[in-house]
Amino acid sequence: MAKKTYDLLFKLLLIGDSGVGKTCILFRFSDDAFSTTFISTIGIDFKIKTVELRGKKIKLQIWDTAGQERFHTITTSYYRGAMGIMLVYDITNEKTFENIVKWLRNIDEHANEDVEKMILGNKSDMEDKRVVSTERGEAIAREHGIRFMETSAKANINIDRAFSELAEAILEKTHGKEPQDAPDRVTVDRRVERNSNRCC
Amino acid sequence: MSILRKRLNEFDDALNAEEIDLINLKRLCFHGIPDEGGLRPLCWKLLLNYLPSTRASWSETLTRKRTLYKTFIEDLIVTPGEANSDGERVDVTLHDHPLNLNPDSKWQTYFKDNEVLLQIDKDVRRLCPDISFFQQGTDYPRKEIVNASGQRRLHHRVQHTVLRSANVERKGLGVTKIAVSVRKATEDYAPLAEGGEAHWEVLERILFLYAKLNPGQGYVQGMNEIVGPIYHAFACDPDQTWREHAEADTFFCFTNLMSEIRDFFIKSLDEAEFGINSMMSKLTTQVKVNDSEVWMRLHQQELCPQYYSFRWLTLLLSQEFPLPDVMRIWDSLFADENRFSFLIHICCAMILLLRDQLLVGDFATNVKLLQNFPSVDIQIVLSKAAALAGKNLNSP
Repeated sequence: MAKKTYDLLFKLLLIGDSGVGKTCILFRFSDDAFSTTFISTIGIDFKIKTVELRGKKIKLQIWDTAGQERFHTITTSYYRGAMGIMLVYDITNEKTFENIVKWLRNIDEHANEDVEKMILGNKSDMEDKRVVSTERGEAIAREHGIRFMETSAKANINIDRAFSELAEAILEKTHGKEPQDAPDRVTVDRRVERNSNRCC
Repeated sequence: MSILRKRLNEFDDALNAEEIDLINLKRLCFHGIPDEGGLRPLCWKLLLNYLPSTRASWSETLTRKRTLYKTFIEDLIVTPGEANSDGERVDVTLHDHPLNLNPDSKWQTYFKDNEVLLQIDKDVRRLCPDISFFQQGTDYPRKEIVNASGQRRLHHRVQHTVLRSANVERKGLGVTKIAVSVRKATEDYAPLAEGGEAHWEVLERILFLYAKLNPGQGYVQGMNEIVGPIYHAFACDPDQTWREHAEADTFFCFTNLMSEIRDFFIKSLDEAEFGINSMMSKLTTQVKVNDSEVWMRLHQQELCPQYYSFRWLTLLLSQEFPLPDVMRIWDSLFADENRFSFLIHICCAMILLLRDQLLVGDFATNVKLLQNFPSVDIQIVLSKAAALAGKNLNSP
């Protein structure tokens, strides 16, 4: 057996409509590169990346899923083991945003109750084609008490941050509240008054 | 006489017979169809039951099918409100209009179709990105489509249209300067100009018509990967008269092939006898029988067959190997008498060939290995598969 080269193993899952950029986000995170030439994901794909958080080596095992309805029976079986789920939509495509609600319902049905969730509005570099405003993304996240971020796999905006925040949240949950770690993570709401930092 | 020459002769003899002996042809094709002389596209048409075995009836069959395909285009690709073939614009505003809630409304159908189209459009634009073929223009665009001022082009219907903003600058009474920011995306899979059509646009139409004609199934992601290699083979036929009709011929061959594998694409049939789950468990059993050590390893690691073989089986391995290898694999698959048992043999061979690596790798390494199959000489995989099937495979 190979020597264990990490302290903790976190299983993450990427879900969302077809074409929103799930594979590109994962590729940016794992290989720090961007490619427009991705074939569509059939079934489920897989990547690994080890990150360091609070002095701990954390191995992230990330599952990338196919967006279309047909694959749901295959992909929903992965929900159960996931500790963190990234829900992705495309800010230039209204429908993918509307479907976030549907994806959230899927999570409720199939995932562990205490799974950490995060909503990502991807393709934020395509400002000229934007149809979903940042405010609407924030609003839906606040409504469900989930973290939110706009990302661009192409321009490498917020990709690393999204993964480390999600990992951080899982770490916090698994280790209980340790007094020294004042959470320096960014909350969903940019305004301070009523942030949605609660764990659901 | 060289071995290749000898094989070419064998194929010629088999194909030139008045009444083609399909069993003999299948036997030949199983060992691989030579790339020369348009043999592959012709053999595939026979193996997929598009061309009848009686040569004399080919011309009648082809004419009939191709005419039928033309009517599919005319009947199924319609934009409500467009001028009909007499050049008269049908008055649609009176009885039918975009807000009509009647389920029979042409507009309702149109909007519904566009949802299917949106998915197809996303997928055909990301088919085989490692080769440039699908982005290139076809020599045989559909005239009725490409010369209709964009009206009947399918991707036109699902294009994102956004209102553009502009910076208006006015200095005193001087000229008003409107700066519209137009950022032209350099898109590889760009549609071609009026009069021309890229190969991916042709595939989009084939898949859309298939979805329209098979409403129970519709379009499922991955079908693009099935139709792609067939179309590539047909559209590269050295014979111009075949090439010209690549679209219609592909449509029917694809439809025939789908009739055999469509269960893989239907969620409700996952548990059925020929559904994807039973295929995956057949594969697992075969691995267990042939190499219990590897089977045990994967089993202990809880590395389920869904993680890799779902895609292998559903797409007939088209995403696992480079296109020329896929074509070679399909020669054997289409020639398989009891389809698709040889597919299981190939998948099993793939796993067994990785045995040494699988036995030392941890879970993550093994999933990655199986999901990104290392490049190998495809002949080695196929020979191993043939051995599993109790057959011998001639080297080419």
